[in-house]
Amino acid sequence: MRMPEALKAKWFWYSVLCVLCWGGWVLSSKLGTNEIPAGTMQFVFAFGFIPVALLVLVLKRVRFEKSVKGISYSLGNGILAGIGGLTLFAAYRSGGNTSVITAATALYPLITVILAILILRERLNWLQVVGLGFAVAAIIIFSL
Amino acid sequence: MHLPPWFWFGLITLVSWGIVGLLQKLSTNHLSAEWALVWLAVGFFFLEPWLYPGKMLFTYSARNLGWALLSGVFNALGAWALLAALKSGGKASIVAPFTALYPLVVVFAAPVILHESITALQGVGIVCALVAVVLLSAESSPS
Repeated sequence: MRMPEALKAKWFWYSVLCVLCWGGWVLSSKLGTNEIPAGTMQFVFAFGFIPVALLVLVLKRVRFEKSVKGISYSLGNGILAGIGGLTLFAAYRSGGNTSVITAATALYPLITVILAILILRERLNWLQVVGLGFAVAAIIIFSL
Repeated sequence: MHLPPWFWFGLITLVSWGIVGLLQKLSTNHLSAEWALVWLAVGFFFLEPWLYPGKMLFTYSARNLGWALLSGVFNALGAWALLAALKSGGKASIVAPFTALYPLVVVFAAPVILHESITALQGVGIVCALVAVVLLSAESSPS
């Protein structure tokens, strides 16, 4: 039997690694929040980025890039991602079901798509319109 | 209507990460993926003075502090793997929905590791959410 092309591609295995790592991130977050409050979780969590960021810089040997716009957007990213992480830890700590909270918060592309339409003037394709319907259905079900 | 206690926290996460999705797109127009990741990490540290728990930090068990640290390492490794997938020829329209399936790992692992189960209705909601994420991640066209 022939191996599907995707299984031979590097990007496929990097994507699998990403899914597994983010699964590990959720599970270790939930285990930590059993004792530690959301603010402290986020405080300690940030330190986990240091070895990975340093590793990426050393391995890829990228030269410093001084785009003020790019740096500002990325810093804003970090601050907002941190606020989102903080409230995610609070949600896990509130005792809700981990699978439900994870699936509900993973719906964030819904907001990105809406903002991309409003700010970047992108248009929705029909798949995204159907996706919006599923997202609304999921949010209604989770709120019951 | 009675909303579960986690709902409002989850909503803030949803909105802030939704904006992050847009900023990520804008930041990588000006920076390489590696530097975008580094400055994102720096952004996390802007919040640290407000989050610093003081001496309380040392009252928590080393085991749970380890879980908190590991969650950061896992998240960062996942972010790096996503960027690496895009750099090694993966199309954004395939890689983005693929990597958004991480709640599946949680759905299967939570009963074993966290001893949590879901109701049939929650199961339907999770399926709807996963389908929505995959469809919403389909590339949109500029006008």
